[in-house]
Amino acid sequence: MTVTGELIAFMSLALVAVIGGVLLLNLTKVVHMIVALVFTFVSIAGIYVMLSAEFVAAVQILIYSGAITIIMLFGIMLTRHNDTSEPEEGWIRKTLLFIGVLGFAVVMYIGVYDLDLASVPNNLHENNTEQIGVALYSKFVIPFEITSVILLVALIGAIVLAKKDDEKEANKE
Amino acid sequence: MVEGLLQSQPGLLNFGIFFLLATVLLLVVLGFVTYAILAERKVMGFMQLRQGPNQVGGRWGLLQTVADVLKLLLKEDTIPKLADRPLFILAPVIAFAPAFMVLATIPLTDHLQFADIGVGLLYYIAISGLTTIGVVTGGWASNNKYALLGGMRAAAQMISYEIPLVMSVIGVILFAGSLNLNDIVAAQGEQGWFILWQPIAFLVFMIASVAELNRTPFDLPEAESELVAGFHVEYSGFRWAFFMLAEYVYLFAMASLTTVLFLGGWLPPFDFLGFIPGAVWFALKFSVVIFFLVWIRVTFPRLRADQLMEFGWKVLLPVALANIFLTALVKELLKLF
Repeated sequence: MTVTGELIAFMSLALVAVIGGVLLLNLTKVVHMIVALVFTFVSIAGIYVMLSAEFVAAVQILIYSGAITIIMLFGIMLTRHNDTSEPEEGWIRKTLLFIGVLGFAVVMYIGVYDLDLASVPNNLHENNTEQIGVALYSKFVIPFEITSVILLVALIGAIVLAKKDDEKEANKE
Repeated sequence: MVEGLLQSQPGLLNFGIFFLLATVLLLVVLGFVTYAILAERKVMGFMQLRQGPNQVGGRWGLLQTVADVLKLLLKEDTIPKLADRPLFILAPVIAFAPAFMVLATIPLTDHLQFADIGVGLLYYIAISGLTTIGVVTGGWASNNKYALLGGMRAAAQMISYEIPLVMSVIGVILFAGSLNLNDIVAAQGEQGWFILWQPIAFLVFMIASVAELNRTPFDLPEAESELVAGFHVEYSGFRWAFFMLAEYVYLFAMASLTTVLFLGGWLPPFDFLGFIPGAVWFALKFSVVIFFLVWIRVTFPRLRADQLMEFGWKVLLPVALANIFLTALVKELLKLF
């Protein structure tokens, strides 16, 4: 295996992503976890760039930077200040977890190692955005529209729930 | 020069050259920030019928900011006892790093650009959103209610004003047919500046960008009359300087982006003026935008928090959406004739 710039870039991005994930699980304060999550998401966006999916990378950061800020606000508002999550102790539980993780790793290794994806010559790296747009509005137009309708339903549902709460509060006063 | 480098074979030498160029850019930006602060204070002074800095460094106060920065560097670095230490230290870095990363895609002239990304415009908007995380983190880590309130306001403001910002830019994208900033400038060479084609988008973009920059009519995260100093109450010395630096680097970036999107970038306004180099045109337009932003800051009073939200969601967003519709209509009509 030769050390190329691509490998170094991938390794550092992957390392940051994995470390961010591990820290997310191991840190005890909510806000610390969320900051770890930021690093994971940003380095995953970097990996998308390496796969010449620059549009997906930009959208990943665009959406998750807003989403993470909101999660952070929830974390601040819905938990007590200085509240920490205690790791659950238990010897049997830990062993079982370790075996589970090991099994998952073995299965993934076997699955990925022999995976032979027929490499189709593609030109995804040129006019990435345009290609996504054309695919969305021609081949996948119905799933795309249905997704937007589902999102709209969720939005209206949230508004209805929030509104109901308001009326109750008003009646109380 | 840079174009050749961008298309050359990647290697260690190439990496070194880019590293060096980025350092030079950082120094240039620092120089800009130094004199932008001075210029802002001078312009504010003249608009408020006073002198502005005029003691340090001659009649024009040319060394005032340098002296201020020196003072900040020499200040004691305080971290409150009950603050969340690691996050308190990390927050200014998270706030500043995206501000500098954003500069990479902006084409300063037709030869000077650090990364020619296909989705350059989207990259700018996406990365600039990361700064808010730094601001909220800093607000939370300070363990101070004013700082936390400032951080919360920053988050709410960023989310509400990013949407009209993106929506207003869609009109420009529709006309240019590309997200690449170079292509957008080239399209303006053929069709004329987008400020003429997209006046509504320009208006919405300017308002939303002032809100994104956290400058005066919308500087609620650091409203000194309500929150002492907002999210950076507990910060002092060098860490505070980093937050300020991030703010002014964004000023640089946002003014450059406005120039590129609406004012034709480095292109001259008329063809016969083409003998003047692009860098000069860019600098001129850029300075006009900066002056305009300072002017806005001095002129308008601060909004109330609820007015801010209402304005963002009930006025700017519908206007931006209507502009997209109108733009699509105009574009189709132009195709017919």
